[in-house]
Amino acid sequence: MCNGFVMSATSTGLSASPAALAHGEILIALEAGDRASVTASAASIRSHLAARFPGCTAKVVVATAGSETELVDVDSPDAANTATVPALAAGGIAGRLSAVVRETVRLGAPAAALLSPGAHDESVDWLGLLLQPILEAGFDYVFPTYRRERLDGMLNTAIVYPLTRALFGRRLRQPAGGEAALSLALARALLAPRAWRQDPAYVGSDAWLVASVLAGPFRAAQAWLGRWPGSAARAEDASHALARIVGPVFQEMEQHADRWQRVEGSEPVPSVGQAGVIAGGPFTVDIGALEDAFRLGLRELGEIWGLVLPPGTLLTLRRAAAAPAEKARVSDALWARIVYDFAVAHSTRVIERQQLLRSMTPLYLGWVRGFVEDVRDLDGEGTESRVEALCGWFEREKPYAIARWRWPDSFNP
Amino acid sequence: MWQDTKRIFVDSAQHLLQTTARLLPNVLAMLLFFALSAVLAVAIRAGVRRVCERLALDRRLREWGVWPTGGDARASPTKLLTRISFWTVLALGTFFGLSVLDSPMTTAVSMRLLEYVPRLLVGVAIFAIAVGLARVVERNVLIGAVNMGMQSARLIALGARWLVVLLGAAIALDHAGAGSSVVTVAFGILFGGIVFALSLAVGLGAKDFVARSLQRRFPDAGTPESPAEQEDAPGQIHHT
Repeated sequence: MCNGFVMSATSTGLSASPAALAHGEILIALEAGDRASVTASAASIRSHLAARFPGCTAKVVVATAGSETELVDVDSPDAANTATVPALAAGGIAGRLSAVVRETVRLGAPAAALLSPGAHDESVDWLGLLLQPILEAGFDYVFPTYRRERLDGMLNTAIVYPLTRALFGRRLRQPAGGEAALSLALARALLAPRAWRQDPAYVGSDAWLVASVLAGPFRAAQAWLGRWPGSAARAEDASHALARIVGPVFQEMEQHADRWQRVEGSEPVPSVGQAGVIAGGPFTVDIGALEDAFRLGLRELGEIWGLVLPPGTLLTLRRAAAAPAEKARVSDALWARIVYDFAVAHSTRVIERQQLLRSMTPLYLGWVRGFVEDVRDLDGEGTESRVEALCGWFEREKPYAIARWRWPDSFNP
Repeated sequence: MWQDTKRIFVDSAQHLLQTTARLLPNVLAMLLFFALSAVLAVAIRAGVRRVCERLALDRRLREWGVWPTGGDARASPTKLLTRISFWTVLALGTFFGLSVLDSPMTTAVSMRLLEYVPRLLVGVAIFAIAVGLARVVERNVLIGAVNMGMQSARLIALGARWLVVLLGAAIALDHAGAGSSVVTVAFGILFGGIVFALSLAVGLGAKDFVARSLQRRFPDAGTPESPAEQEDAPGQIHHT
């Protein structure tokens, strides 16, 4: 039996009772990485689990993605201890999650977590924060969330967080994290629908999981796990990142259109851990280059944007671009409308989806340019307030999104 | 004299009647061909329309930028394809019909046309596909070049488009058997010219991008990153 839990001083909305304590073996799946890092992570996880949940046992596996996803036991990596999940779409996070979900159900594990193998912030009880809401407070899903620097995860700040929050009415600070912690009940529920395990469209993103949890009858929490451990993946340029990350979010917006149109405002999600943004050092961003990218986009891609954006929005963009040097910027209100317009165009397939998302890059950089200037002299708290203001615009402009979604043609020339 | 006139008239009338009687089956066969080809054309038009609708061809071609969005709402790829298929079948039926008349001239013309029309049709199809593909390439190159910060993005995209159109035209003409050597030489000159112009455009318009690519490979140089390609560095933008 797992026992003992301490609520963080910054936790909100979690309640637990010893009666809710869970039994069984916890499944911890690590994304495949180099052997040394995986071994170190596994050792760290075991010691954390032993200290934090003394009555629990843990099975640590590595999720390897190939033609089929395998969960290889870290301690005995032989065939007998390998759980194989065949016939997946093509691996990716959907493949890893599918394997984790099946293995969780097979083991009857009360909780499972899919984690990146990088070193987590050892100054906080990150594994306890991640699993405690599930094991001791009856939550179904915990979103791992990290304290990052002001300009880190800019796509999340600019689009994913405000859009997810406005759509589902839940303030999940980092919805697209690539890591997950889930309960046995949620694993069983996820096993039923086949689409996410077989459709290649779900492979590269966990947006479908986030949307399923937020739109379904599941209890979700977010756990602040300290400083961002960094990613082993190579940094992506903005246009590829936009297509990879925002596309699935728009896809889920289409899937859950009947639900999000009935949601108004937003409410906080129960959280554990120390939230916030790290102020970090001074910026070395070239504001002029961002502005040039925005102006170049407006000059060359205006024809394509004309298929997506209403004439009024295009006119406002032209006015913004005509501002003197170092003054051109895309305001929050305009940015919120632009994101909704692109979501509608993604749904109606006005232009091919990859082209659509990649053509959004100069607009995104135009908004980033203003954000960088705004937060340059702000601390972490001030930056969070600035993000909050952006989210407010996404929520205020939601009636516009609903109107455009229902009557897309009436806004187009 | 009257007897001679009467004889000549009767002979001519007999000859005309005999000729008509000899030709009548051929004419009937020709009319039957016309009628059959008309029925076949209508059936094929309906089939093509159904296939296009099932494939959502109009939406897909507009989505990819092959067919312009907006413009004349009455024109659509499906309508164009149904019309082409209808008139092609009707024309082929007409040529077949003319060939059964047993007249040396019509038979020769029909046979030449029947030999040439399929090659011409394939050539036209190749050219049409090339034009459609060129529009897709143009839009992709334009978006990519803008995201790379190339000031001459439009020029590069246009160059890429005309390269594909030119290639398609050369293949189509070659297939149709029109001006073989002239086409090859003209294509070579134009293709080389466009590639040279594109090289200049990329070289002049994207020298910063090339410098940054070199910097990534040989990190000693000190060129800053483009806004769309910020890499790991303190105080920089990280998109993901």
